[in-house]
Amino acid sequence: MSDLDDLRAAVRGFLEKQAPLGTADPQVWNRLVDELGLVALAQEEQPLPLVCGVLEETGRVLLQAPYLPTVVAALGVGDLVSGKVALALDGDLSQVAHARDADALLVADGDDLLVVKDFTATPVEVLDATRPRASVRLGPGRSIGSPDHTRDLEWLALAAESVGAAQRLLEMTVEHLLTREQFGRPLGSFQALRHRVADLTVLLEGATSSVWCAARSEQLPVDAPLALALASDAFVEIAGAAIQLHGGIGFTWEHDVHLFFKRAWTTALLHDSRALRRLAFERSGR
Amino acid sequence: MTSFREEVRAWLAEHLVGEFAPLVGTGGPGREHEHVELRTAWEQELGRGGWIGLGWPREAGGRGASIEDQVVFHEEYATAGGPARIGHIGEQLVAPTLIAFGTQEQQERFLPGIKAGTELWCQGYSEPDAGSDLAAVRTRGVLREDGWHVTGQKVWTSLAHLADWCFVIARTNDAPRHRGLSFFLVPMEQPGIEVRPIVQLTGTSEFNEVFFEDALASSMVGGEGDGWRVAMGLLAFERGVSTLGQQVAFNREYDEILALARANGSFGRLADELIEAWAGLQQLRHQALRTLSSDASASTGVEANINKLLWAPWHQKLGELAMKVTGPAGLLVGPDGLSPLQNLFLFTRSDTIYGGSNEIQRNVIAERHWKLPRDSYS
Repeated sequence: MSDLDDLRAAVRGFLEKQAPLGTADPQVWNRLVDELGLVALAQEEQPLPLVCGVLEETGRVLLQAPYLPTVVAALGVGDLVSGKVALALDGDLSQVAHARDADALLVADGDDLLVVKDFTATPVEVLDATRPRASVRLGPGRSIGSPDHTRDLEWLALAAESVGAAQRLLEMTVEHLLTREQFGRPLGSFQALRHRVADLTVLLEGATSSVWCAARSEQLPVDAPLALALASDAFVEIAGAAIQLHGGIGFTWEHDVHLFFKRAWTTALLHDSRALRRLAFERSGR
Repeated sequence: MTSFREEVRAWLAEHLVGEFAPLVGTGGPGREHEHVELRTAWEQELGRGGWIGLGWPREAGGRGASIEDQVVFHEEYATAGGPARIGHIGEQLVAPTLIAFGTQEQQERFLPGIKAGTELWCQGYSEPDAGSDLAAVRTRGVLREDGWHVTGQKVWTSLAHLADWCFVIARTNDAPRHRGLSFFLVPMEQPGIEVRPIVQLTGTSEFNEVFFEDALASSMVGGEGDGWRVAMGLLAFERGVSTLGQQVAFNREYDEILALARANGSFGRLADELIEAWAGLQQLRHQALRTLSSDASASTGVEANINKLLWAPWHQKLGELAMKVTGPAGLLVGPDGLSPLQNLFLFTRSDTIYGGSNEIQRNVIAERHWKLPRDSYS
């Protein structure tokens, strides 16, 4: 087992116990930071493979705590910010994730990246209840350079979270196909459904590989937007198929599938995969 | 000290010239009919250079090269435009099979010929009534005083007209399906064997039908009735080290299509598809790098099946895109036959069928990775 495998196993064990899918325990955040030291991973010599591994795990439980924006900020701007951070790197202030409890905002203003500590955040109701959002009014901020690198890191982080979530969702779906019986046999014995699962597996493994390589890439400006485009498309496809493969139960509020579906579409609508692909292609110089 | 990559590069720069210069970029799926004699000579040139059997263990006469070095070789080979190998069936399928399942005597008999590029192999698996359902083979092996004799018909046997040897799956007893099969090594130069080319929808031929009429086998790998185990072991030897080399060729095809799209003004109309194809190409590389790494999350046990389902449909779609970029001009056939892009367009219809059709790959992923129960077949 590598360090990364060990880390992922430890984080998975913790999250499954302390922050299972659909829960929001405010104590979890402090323990992630203090006990597990997950934000401090950003200071490792090669942090991205580790952080992305952790984000795949937080994706599996659709973690409510603001790990993603905070660790992205730590990776992108180091100790220029501290505490909980929220990101508004696409200029949209109408639904900023984790803004209400944030100690600082990183906001892209054209070619400037601003640190804003003086702001008001008004919670907004959103489809994806697993990630609280707020509309934000900014006070004065301080420019600390270009937002490009931090934005690449956010894209990579969202990509890692997406493949983690999609992996968990696909596992749940297969579990359903193995246990649910119709016509006197498990659903998973019907070739139409088995082939659907195989295609989703290929989609997911491909996206996971692109995230894996982006986390180890020497050309993050190309590989990060590409990874998010592929991961987000895969997550959207898998989430839609997961409801279908679950049948009626997948359409209910009580079942968790819809949480993944809403998370997948939230990421997709906030980060257009077609535009990300085109940007990656242009940056590649091909 | 010279790095392995530099060594490979230098050797290719020194040898893929002169009489071998016409081979650059030739051969491969859909183009196996090109420069056949010269490619056979090239195989022996590679053998003299010590490049065949890189990944075999040293005890078997190989170089025991690491996965990384094998990848480097394939990348450099493809980058230099090295022609498609005519001895790959022997090197990559037969040799590992003999190393894993063969006797000492069989290894000593056959490995040197493969390593020197002097003995070429073909694969006798599919039959007219045993395609995806390989265990349904009907070719029979019968033991007589002078050894095992093989009678039956094989199909889709690439390079059979050039091969010195064929490995053949045949039925040797009446046990049901895969339990009654054995794995034979059969010399092609004998009266009981006839090879007939199949004309493909490209109009060219590289696959054959092979008819065995009481043909004498030289030996059997594994025991009588052990053929299925040997055959399945063989399929597992494709570790994917050559996929990065394959991608160098894919990159070359993509660049040609992209350049054409920019030159003829179709880029604007087809930008989304061209960019999506680019993204898919990056993903193929990412998939290869991750599965060749030691990362535990990549060990699905069905990496080869996932790889096939990633590259084959991608490549097929690239062939369609080539035609969209070319436009109606792509319908005209010149005096020299199909252009490379026309050939890409037509030949890639087979990518999703040969080596396990997409549908079979999906079954394997569902069963082996997810443990989903089998359907009513079998």
